[in-house]
Amino acid sequence: MPPRRLSSHDLALLATHHPALSARLAARTVGSPMTVVHDGVGVAAFEGEVLALSLLAADRLVLSRSPKYHRPRGATCLRGHCEGCLVRYDGEPNVMACLSTVRRGAEAHSQNAFPTAGLDLMRVTDWFFPKHLDHHHLMVDFGAAVNRTMQRLTRKLAGLGTLPEEPRTPVEAAEHTVDALVVGAGQSGIGAANALAAAGLRVLVCDEAPAPGGAALDALDTPLDTLARLDPRVGCLTGTAAVATYDDTTLLVDGVRLYSVRARARVFANGGIASVGTFVNNDAPGVYTRDAFARALRQGVLASDRALFVGPGAAALGAIAKTLPHRGHKIEAEGTVVEAVGSGRVKGAVLTVGGARRQVTNIEALVVDTPAHAAYELAGQAGAEIVWSPAMRCFTPQRTPDGATRVPGVFVTGSLCLGEATVAARHADGARVGAHAAEWLNERATP
Amino acid sequence: MSGKVLVCRCEDVTLDEVQKALEAGHHDIESVKRYTGFGTGWCQGKQCVVACARVIAEHTGASPTLPITPRPPYHPVSLAALAGLDEEAP
Repeated sequence: MPPRRLSSHDLALLATHHPALSARLAARTVGSPMTVVHDGVGVAAFEGEVLALSLLAADRLVLSRSPKYHRPRGATCLRGHCEGCLVRYDGEPNVMACLSTVRRGAEAHSQNAFPTAGLDLMRVTDWFFPKHLDHHHLMVDFGAAVNRTMQRLTRKLAGLGTLPEEPRTPVEAAEHTVDALVVGAGQSGIGAANALAAAGLRVLVCDEAPAPGGAALDALDTPLDTLARLDPRVGCLTGTAAVATYDDTTLLVDGVRLYSVRARARVFANGGIASVGTFVNNDAPGVYTRDAFARALRQGVLASDRALFVGPGAAALGAIAKTLPHRGHKIEAEGTVVEAVGSGRVKGAVLTVGGARRQVTNIEALVVDTPAHAAYELAGQAGAEIVWSPAMRCFTPQRTPDGATRVPGVFVTGSLCLGEATVAARHADGARVGAHAAEWLNERATP
Repeated sequence: MSGKVLVCRCEDVTLDEVQKALEAGHHDIESVKRYTGFGTGWCQGKQCVVACARVIAEHTGASPTLPITPRPPYHPVSLAALAGLDEEAP
């Protein structure tokens, strides 16, 4: 099997044909080589690398089993929005491998599986209940005693991981008070934060990703120098996700420590959530969102050497991947996925292309292009009115043209409200909403 | 893998289960959630609420009702980290 990491030859080819991707690869920091252990097997990695990427590069695809049917699961979104890459890491259960980095001496283990996620004996559950396990009607006619036994059994089957052996010591939360908190350091969040900082306000921005930039970084043909950069006056917490927001307080977490941030204004610029869509075996290891495949690639890891790219956006990414020699990528720009074929991991796919059914074989990954849906939840927690958008086919927070919601001091911007939009449009929306938020704050300046 | 369409990956809820819930007369997101358990897992609905809303919209032909209330925590957080908020903590 050819290595899943880009060779120096690959890098030279990309420099010639895809300078925007090449610039992203040049900007990453590669640590010294080391070994991380997964289910007792040593995996070559680089110090500070994202654990999920080290595992992908070593073709360790199946990381856990699903709670009910024990279906195999692997990394799918690579951005902390799904459960695919949960592992037991350093004795701690339910660690998202896509948001963790490799550490010397640390060991990762499969969860919810015996003996490992690849071999799990409980996988028969999936075949035993071919359509679904109907807990409303299963066994209810057999009397209370049988019912109780079945309940006990099913509770044992379900679950994710086991508790850590040692309790974790609480880490004292950090407290911050700022004029404005911007959730999300994508193009709209940067636009808003910079506008607030330019108005002389104290601004903090947070993002789950290891660096600011957002989804624009995964649009691999967008030159880096066309992307907005964060004003140095803006405080920035990366690798830090928003957990909850209420009154003027928002709780953030960086995996270990909680941050309690009081802000007179809150700007939600937390974009969208990509999912793979609904088709048969859509949860199979080897099924990736377009952005996930792009995110791995710009960090030097080819999630697969034989991927099928389906849909226009994925096709553009596939064209970049096809620049690299000795790989067997395939592209179907107009197709729709009906089924991912394979037992344990993707080996083929069934598509409809122009109304005709088409079978694709000899692949080991399926990269799909599903538009992200708005991550409306935090804005909803803050009290913004949530409505269904027939155009975006998802829920979205209601806002005025200036980005204000029905709650004073709560603003929303970016693809959270716009859906699919260009990088420039997202940035402009953020800058406009940020300027309005700054005006709102300055009108209410504390004496 | 047997051929299932997963609507909610975290709680293993299949498209078939959601359709059974619709046939049983549950036509709003909250009822379908209570019947199938979708949206109650690790991702807390990030992936599945919209997927289920779309299935319901196709079935009923109407715009989906309001989503389930998005309660904290939005992102998984350990109790040890939460305990760090307590000023009395050791």
